[in-house]
Amino acid sequence: MSIITRSPFLFRINTGSCNGCDVELATTAMIPRYDVERLGCRYTGSPKHADILLVTGPITARSKPYLLEVLDELPNPFVVVAVGTCPTSCGIFRDSYSIEGPLERYVKVDVNVPGCPPRPQAIIDGVAKALEIWKEKIRNQK
Amino acid sequence: MSGFLKIAIRNLLKGPVTDPYPFGKTFIPNKLRGKLKVDPKACTACGTCEEVCPSGAIHITKNENVYVHTTWYNTCCFCGNCEFFCPTGAIKLTNDFHTANTEEEKYRFTTVALISEIKCESCGEMFVPASEALLKRAYPNVNDTIRELTKLCPKCRRKKAFERLYQ
Ligand code: SF4
Ligand code: SF4
Ligand code: SF4
Repeated sequence: MSIITRSPFLFRINTGSCNGCDVELATTAMIPRYDVERLGCRYTGSPKHADILLVTGPITARSKPYLLEVLDELPNPFVVVAVGTCPTSCGIFRDSYSIEGPLERYVKVDVNVPGCPPRPQAIIDGVAKALEIWKEKIRNQK
Repeated sequence: MSGFLKIAIRNLLKGPVTDPYPFGKTFIPNKLRGKLKVDPKACTACGTCEEVCPSGAIHITKNENVYVHTTWYNTCCFCGNCEFFCPTGAIKLTNDFHTANTEEEKYRFTTVALISEIKCESCGEMFVPASEALLKRAYPNVNDTIRELTKLCPKCRRKKAFERLYQ
């Protein structure tokens, strides 16, 4: 089906990440060495177009409203990928007063890519898994 | 020459290289801190790693005569503290970076090592013996007398060592 072969859009949000994961994510997306777009996905600047949401950071109290806003704007179906140990389980920041994570408290997460930060190849693994899940979701929706 | 310069010059000459992963093999540095491995033969279930882990990824529980050493990767920050402080070198970070897992696997994405207790040769009490790795660290020469002592529980071992001193 043509809709399945369409390139899914990736959208990323930083919810208070230390920048470690963002650097790896940027590396994965932008430098030709890793180039995640080979898998058939493209980055987008708007959550309204997103099919796959990549989240970094442990959801700090200040970033929570922005995350909720993005989650509100996502079209159905979407796939959520937690990039790094922070959104997955809050890692070393667990139980801190300013942390409102992990991500699974707000949305059903589909793929976790722990690592502090995860290696670009691990992020590619995660995106590849997310693509599979996304195709499955589109098929089921019909 | 710095690594960066080398890459820059190579790219100038050969053009940029895209890593073939996930369609082919990838390059993994030996020192990469990836998933960890526990050697149950060397581990003595001392609990040091559990204590020093900043993210609470390690839990050691006890089931009937067996200690269960579990590491949950989804909270491990791959800092290497456990490897650094382990007195026996039983826990090591490997360069396996494959950490992506689905939500269904989230709480099953662990590594488990089982450390069994043995029976004290003298009183029959169950205890975890000192591993060979620990002996090597504690003594310059590990001889048979020392190895004999590891078959006794801490109480009997103390008694035996004391007797030997004053015989
Ligand atoms: S997982 Fe580690 S590298 Fe990533 S945002 Fe959290 S602390 Fe930073
Ligand atoms: S590498 Fe660090 S976070 Fe991971 S289990 Fe060891 S001490 Fe804990
Ligand atoms: S892995 Fe090392 S530090 Fe951890 S319980 Fe075993 S011996 Fe102790």
